[in-house]
Amino acid sequence: MTLAVEVAGKTDVGCVRANNEDNFGYDSRYGIFVVCDGMGGQAAGEVASKMGVDILLEYFRNTAGRKDAAGQEAAGPSQGSSASPTRQPATTANGGPLANAIRLANKRIYEAGERETGKSGMGSTVVAALVRGNSLTIGNVGDSRIYLIRHGEIQQLTRDHSLVMEQVRLGLITREQAEQSEMQNVILRALGSEKEVEADVEDLLAVSGDLLLMSSDGLTRHVRDQEILKIVTAARSLEAACATLIETAKDRGGDDNITCLLLKIVDRPWYKHILHKVFSGGRQWQNSI
Amino acid sequence: MAKLYLRFEQSQSVLREVPLTQGTATIGRLPDNSVQIDNLAVSGHHAKIYWDDGHYVIEDVGSLNGTFVNEKRVGKATLIHGDQVKIGKHVLEFKNEGAIALGASVPKSGPATPQLDATVVLDTKQAREMIAEKGGPVSAARSVTGAPLPGRERIGVLRVLEGKTDQERYVLTAKMTMIGKSSLATIRLKGWFAPTTAALISKRENKYYIAPSEKKIKLKVNGEDSPNLKELHDGDLIEVSKFKATFSFQE
Repeated sequence: MTLAVEVAGKTDVGCVRANNEDNFGYDSRYGIFVVCDGMGGQAAGEVASKMGVDILLEYFRNTAGRKDAAGQEAAGPSQGSSASPTRQPATTANGGPLANAIRLANKRIYEAGERETGKSGMGSTVVAALVRGNSLTIGNVGDSRIYLIRHGEIQQLTRDHSLVMEQVRLGLITREQAEQSEMQNVILRALGSEKEVEADVEDLLAVSGDLLLMSSDGLTRHVRDQEILKIVTAARSLEAACATLIETAKDRGGDDNITCLLLKIVDRPWYKHILHKVFSGGRQWQNSI
Repeated sequence: MAKLYLRFEQSQSVLREVPLTQGTATIGRLPDNSVQIDNLAVSGHHAKIYWDDGHYVIEDVGSLNGTFVNEKRVGKATLIHGDQVKIGKHVLEFKNEGAIALGASVPKSGPATPQLDATVVLDTKQAREMIAEKGGPVSAARSVTGAPLPGRERIGVLRVLEGKTDQERYVLTAKMTMIGKSSLATIRLKGWFAPTTAALISKRENKYYIAPSEKKIKLKVNGEDSPNLKELHDGDLIEVSKFKATFSFQE
């Protein structure tokens, strides 16, 4: 029995904004799934989030089979880790490449922002998942989220890099106060805002039946964890789940762009695996929009 | 910044001050350690201290005489300001004054908030200033909000009773721990018929849960079939395939 990933994704401009600064993309052949939420005026946010998605996908397409060759470029100037005592970059088989890919995306977006007038200050959040068999590696910068739905329970796997959630963790405000706060839009890390970025990268495990939801804050500000659980488990397909999640967020104002990328880890017997390869069952990848 | 103050036995005089900045600090008798303590009661490579998810963590790396935090022997423990780490006859006091400044509250005005609610990123320097501004000690901030002090992390341990595994005892520090023959499994089963993935233990907010990792796997907790997610309690007996172990909490 091999594990495979079924996937559906959807993004929506929402009800208030004029343009969609969210982006997403995936390539099941390499097990990489990405959601980015851009920021910065004059269309710069769209550029940043598109770059984030494209660079991550490209990284895994280009380094497939190679031993993390592009990692060195991404590491940037040698003072890589001297800034502050921070979480160690993951050094395992998949954690290292994912951290490197995110560093590379940061570097490219930062440089583009410096170079092009009107694009300075552009940035993007990123959540990425790398799924290879039972191995699941997640990466996060900013306030987009990854949820795991397993055995009928929902769990947020990522930690928001936002000011209010930092205050919740420090016990200064409650989660409810955070949800009401006017400071919700302040995030502490983003791709492209500084020369170097520290991504949270974590190696986890996936088992058959797991659902992973990757989303921008346009969803999670309006739809609570338990509602997400209900909607996703009640939906008849991954596509339907994404559509209902987005509709629910829009019904409640939809003041931001909304993106959902929903993954399901499934058992696939070897003969189906071959059939799937020969007859290419559905799309294997989708580039940024 | 977090620092270790090295003293010998009951003596008050500080032999050495070790700032903990980033990466892993290793403690041991041999010169290749970043904190060398040349005393026979200290193992060659005794323990290490590293930064993990907002905390410094000390982990014994297989020392003979053990690593003690506030007189308790630990395999791995989160360090908090004021902890006394005993290694052989030496004491390392852990002080983390930087963490206290993080208890500050954020001014209401905040950064220049642009129109609508466009996302704003604070750069690292701004964020630090903002969080550090009006920075009183954590205790003061906590007393205002009434939030409880975070408890010490409870760490689960599995003791293997039956079955071929690579260790007899596993300290469950990871968020997810697999039991099986797979190379991803921490609790690595051996033997021809052992399942690749047998069960998955998840750790969440100081609680542990176990579930079979495939439908066809039969998992038993305290002799009862457990096909779904089940919380583990101190003393629980876990059986899957030919593997049998007891779960307990460290401390």
